Amino acid sequence: MAVAGITFENVTKRYGAVVALDQFNLTVAPGEFMTFLGPSGSGKTTALNILAGFTGITEGDVRIGEKSVVQLPPEQRNVGMVFQSYSLFPHLTVFENVAFPLRLRGERGASLETKVRGALAMVHLEDFGKRMPNELSGGQRQRVAFARAVVFEPPVLLMDEPLGALDLKLREQMQLEIKRYHQQLGCTIIFVTHDQGEALTLSDRVAVMRDGKIAQVDTAQDIYDRPSTRYVAEFIGRTNLFEIEQGQGNGWSIAALGTQMAPLDGHGAAGRTLSVRPEKIRQIGQGDPDASIVFDARVTDVVFQGDHVQYQAVTSGGAPLTFQEHRGHGARLQQAGDALRLGFDVADAVPVQNQ
Amino acid sequence: MTYKLKLMPAAAVTLALLTGPALAQDKVLTIAGSGGAVKDATEQIFLPAFTEATGWSTKFVAAESNIMLEVETMLKAGNMLYDAMEVSASAYPTGVQNGFLAPIDYALLDPDNTLPEAAKKEFGVVAAAYSTVLVQRLDKNPEGRKMESWADFWDLETFPGPRSLKRQPQYTLEFALLADGVAKDEIYEVLGTDEGLDRAFAKLDEIKDSIPVWWTSGAQSVQLLSDGEVFYSTTYNGRVNKLQESGIPVEIMWNGGALHTSYVGIPKGAPNYEMAHEWIRVRTMRPELEAEYVKFLPYPNFAPGLFDTMTEEQAAQMPTFKANADAQFVADEEFWAANIDRIQERFDEWLLF
Amino acid sequence: MKRISLIWLLLPAVLLLAAFIVMPTFDLIRASIFDPDFTFKHFQRLVERGVYIDVMWRTVRVSLIVAVICTIVGYPVAMFINLQPKKRQVALLFLILIPMWMSVLIRTFAWIVVLGREGLINDLMIGLGMTDGPVQMLYTSGTVITAMVQIMLPIQIITCYSAMTEIDLDLMRAARVLGARRWQALTRVYLPLSYDGTLTGLVIVFMMSMGFFITPALLGGRQDMMIANLIEFQVQHLNWSFAAAIGIVLLVLTVSMILLLRWTGRFAFRRLLNVGR
Repeated sequence: MAVAGITFENVTKRYGAVVALDQFNLTVAPGEFMTFLGPSGSGKTTALNILAGFTGITEGDVRIGEKSVVQLPPEQRNVGMVFQSYSLFPHLTVFENVAFPLRLRGERGASLETKVRGALAMVHLEDFGKRMPNELSGGQRQRVAFARAVVFEPPVLLMDEPLGALDLKLREQMQLEIKRYHQQLGCTIIFVTHDQGEALTLSDRVAVMRDGKIAQVDTAQDIYDRPSTRYVAEFIGRTNLFEIEQGQGNGWSIAALGTQMAPLDGHGAAGRTLSVRPEKIRQIGQGDPDASIVFDARVTDVVFQGDHVQYQAVTSGGAPLTFQEHRGHGARLQQAGDALRLGFDVADAVPVQNQ
Repeated sequence: MTYKLKLMPAAAVTLALLTGPALAQDKVLTIAGSGGAVKDATEQIFLPAFTEATGWSTKFVAAESNIMLEVETMLKAGNMLYDAMEVSASAYPTGVQNGFLAPIDYALLDPDNTLPEAAKKEFGVVAAAYSTVLVQRLDKNPEGRKMESWADFWDLETFPGPRSLKRQPQYTLEFALLADGVAKDEIYEVLGTDEGLDRAFAKLDEIKDSIPVWWTSGAQSVQLLSDGEVFYSTTYNGRVNKLQESGIPVEIMWNGGALHTSYVGIPKGAPNYEMAHEWIRVRTMRPELEAEYVKFLPYPNFAPGLFDTMTEEQAAQMPTFKANADAQFVADEEFWAANIDRIQERFDEWLLF
Repeated sequence: MKRISLIWLLLPAVLLLAAFIVMPTFDLIRASIFDPDFTFKHFQRLVERGVYIDVMWRTVRVSLIVAVICTIVGYPVAMFINLQPKKRQVALLFLILIPMWMSVLIRTFAWIVVLGREGLINDLMIGLGMTDGPVQMLYTSGTVITAMVQIMLPIQIITCYSAMTEIDLDLMRAARVLGARRWQALTRVYLPLSYDGTLTGLVIVFMMSMGFFITPALLGGRQDMMIANLIEFQVQHLNWSFAAAIGIVLLVLTVSMILLLRWTGRFAFRRLLNVGR
């Protein structure tokens, strides 16, 4: 299968005075699984529709492979697409739905039959060819939509919140399926979602979007561990944000914790905030190794979540924070009101831009 | 007061509901007639006079469609709601044949025998005379010419231009025969034979292409003339005044017109048979009332001494004015009642091909 | 229990149908074959006299032409409306519905004003020197069909439109991105999905046209007779039995034509789905 990369070059899309996409730049490598993650109105769907050819652009260039597709209508772009509502053709059987793109490409007879059967087999629906879409469950429809989108072996596959309509369990199952398909097919995938869990599970890289711009594009792990802005840190997972100020000498002072720390990088504290993930904060007690930053706090709330416990606490400086403990052997559950000594390693603290 | 509770057609039920409160007062005469101008004139002139003469009040029902249809329905339901009614020229033979009408008691109505014979029929008294006549747009005529006979109507060279006739064989075939030279008093004799019928249709063939439209209602014939859709058309004499009043130069050709008489009659099973005769007396035998009526509508009857109340000019507009009546022929409604089915089919076929 | 109680919801409709449709229909059948004794003479007359069969055929032909023109004209209009933003759709539908507030009679008369010998169009054409004398447009079959189309068109547009509102417009995008050109998306997705509603509209227009009465009488020439005009004549002359017989034949004819239209419609639909296979 031919695989192609994707390039957005200074793409701007304006609707009247509203800017949906603002100087958007992104390069997606061939075969990469790229997720556009963001709240509604962040421009992720606009970017997808521009790729599909449903939406024109105001400025810039969009290329699939080496070829600019700005002037091409959707049918000439040769991309597969899976819609949030599946968009299966209700008047056609499952077989004919999957055969639809092949027929348009002049495929006939045995070759068509083989390809459709193959695509249906990949999504485990070999025996459903004669059914009508309304006779299928949500998950099955999703699979048919997928089979239809890839049966003509497009170099690029676009997925617009494809799992949004499924319940949690099915969604998790389908995530694994999609991962498997990606490995099997090797095509470039652009996946749009507002679900960060989905984004982290599936993607090679995630583009976190905000107001028509990319806030950060990185691997899933780096997006989580090394958020560049306060927005990204808050949007992905939970985090504690502590104000920092330039303290005496070169150090940073953290008012909320009543402590100081050495600067983490060459930049100053101005315009930045410290982000510490809840699971990076731990109890400092007898026998526990010390941490670089240590402070006192009092538990205000305990949320039991099975394999782990989430605590709300207030520092002695009056700042609220969240931390999380895995329930390994012998871990004791704290009560609200308990006074604790907490700490984290500076290596786990990330200074983020105040954006 | 008792109602017969029977399953009856919806129309009769509705009528019963409408007329119910009136029946409750007992001394009410229910009269059916056509709506529009006839209704207005009747309500202004005859109904108050009747109440004055008898002390009875009246209920005038303007029939939506064919009165005979309503009478038939009421007879079937066994509940006659009308005491008296208008009987149009063509409805009279139908009513008689089907036995829908009660005979008029002339000893009761006209003991002194003042009505002329022409006014008296077994099942009705003439209430109005009217004519189907040719009306021409004077402004569309060729310079100095004017149609004076049906032969002129058929003369496409002297009088080119679109014409219209009623979309029915009665009072159409007669005109064709007149144009073809048949004498007035032989029309129905000729029309009664197959050859005569052929002759009438053959004559119609001559002008078939000059008749873009065949009218189906009196209102339509007037509209055709007033819009200039046609220059010549048959219509009812009573419609012409309105045209003239609106400034359209039209003139009646009385020569060869068809004279009809419509009647006032009593349906079989009428609840107030005797009082209905009082109504007929008011409607047909009071010249001073009729003189008022013909000022509205030039449809006179045979009220004794009616013409003495009119000016010469007024009288000349009446279809029964001596000169006008002499120029016309009397339409034979019995002939048509007996033959319409057969001839209508042929007429429709003739229209189609 | 639940099913039984739900059946009561249909009771008013069933009673209404029974009292005003089913019983009168049986009465019509009775009237057509008892006069007063059992007889087929009315049906015999119908068949023997060419005029009735001929007028029936003309009625079917005019109704079919009107239904087909309404479909060809109405479908794109309905589609245009359906593809507008929601607010504009409401406004456009409102405009489509306005003529339906006017009686058929008035709408018919409007044509007389426009198409008459001394009407708007002739005045204009003579004024512009396009023609010497007035052109006869009124009292022709073309005018009858034009006026009937004008009267029926809103019904077809509304029926088509309501079928189209059921179509998920994302399906069109899906078709495009899967490789369909604009017209292919139209013929393979939009058309099949709006097909049933359109066919229903066509059938409704056909059915209503079969009973048309005033418009052909006022705008038609001598040949534009419809079967309803003949029935009216027979009723006016109290020939109930014969009128009933014509009515029965009209009913049977209309129902069979509808079945035929549906059947051909289905057949054409299957052919449509097979395009490109």
